[in-house]
Amino acid sequence: MLSQKAWSPYAAGIVIGLLQIPAFLLIETALGASSSYVTIGGLIASWVDPSVLKIDYVARHVAATGKNWWQVALVGGVAAGAFISMKMSGARRAAISPIWSRALGSASPAKRYAVAFLGGFLMLFGARIADGCTSGHGLSGMAQLAVGSTVAVAAMFAGGIATAMLLLRRV
Amino acid sequence: MSLTSAIFIGIAMGVVFGFALEKSRVFEPGIIVGQMQMRNFIMLKVFLTAVATGAVVLAALNGFGVVKLAPKAAMYYADVVGGLILGAGIALAGACPGTTLAQIGAGYRDALFTLVGGLAGAVTYSYAEPTLSKTVLGQSSGKLIFSQFMGIPYWAGALGFAAVLALVLVGLETWRPWRDELGRDVDGDSTGSPAIPSVVQTLFAE
Repeated sequence: MLSQKAWSPYAAGIVIGLLQIPAFLLIETALGASSSYVTIGGLIASWVDPSVLKIDYVARHVAATGKNWWQVALVGGVAAGAFISMKMSGARRAAISPIWSRALGSASPAKRYAVAFLGGFLMLFGARIADGCTSGHGLSGMAQLAVGSTVAVAAMFAGGIATAMLLLRRV
Repeated sequence: MSLTSAIFIGIAMGVVFGFALEKSRVFEPGIIVGQMQMRNFIMLKVFLTAVATGAVVLAALNGFGVVKLAPKAAMYYADVVGGLILGAGIALAGACPGTTLAQIGAGYRDALFTLVGGLAGAVTYSYAEPTLSKTVLGQSSGKLIFSQFMGIPYWAGALGFAAVLALVLVGLETWRPWRDELGRDVDGDSTGSPAIPSVVQTLFAE
């Protein structure tokens, strides 16, 4: 099972949903990912500009609390888990997914890297305005029936669909 | 809970999370962009299954009084504006903040640029936060959950919601069987692969 290339989306979804149990029981929080970018980004920024730590928002996120660093460890673990899963299944990936040359109408890695940077920037800028991402608002907020999270998820799909339809070519 | 144990728990949970993201293929740019172009529905299948599972789990844990809920406050302006920008980013990155790390683990080099862009976006927001939080983006309507409106306990609302999602998933699977959506190289890329069913059959013949 661990060496399969793909699981059913339903099996994988159940595994992801069950992660709420340790999150709530042990860390007293819900699954999330985007806060960790403030923790790490704020820390890196503070090497250049120590005054960034005077912004209360940054100070809250870099503080040595279990919740902050649990989430950083979580996303680090995600990279490790995907790596292990990949190695066990023997799947191999190109450096850039083949869909991008079609989606961007160009095979230039430089163009893809620029679009990826911009995409990442918008992703986190937006997630921080909304106070959550696909994990925090999506997985956790919707499971808790949170009204704001449901609005945020609808907006995410609206923004994603509009952008993918209008700015990207058919993959 | 010490910082060290929180970090160890985070790593352990992250490994499971990353494993499931990789096995489900939902971390693939082809699957995520495919979803946003309404050509591939694996992302929605994984997402809704995880939401439904989380709802059942939390209905039990909260219903029996084991855990308190931790919903985020409803901030409608921020949720809409932030959600739209985040969604645009997801389409261009072909990733979300969590799956970016799974892409890095799986060896996608462009995901490193997504990560650096993400850190830059988070830092830019941090500098803007003291100003932005004084605008409508800082307006909060408090922690609202749908079951409050209906006058029913959370656990009942959550179980009902999970049941509805289960029906939606059955419909999705009937309409688009997941095996047909994987693509030749399990990356959601279906171009030039009319032989998907047989390829997938070989893959799953165990």
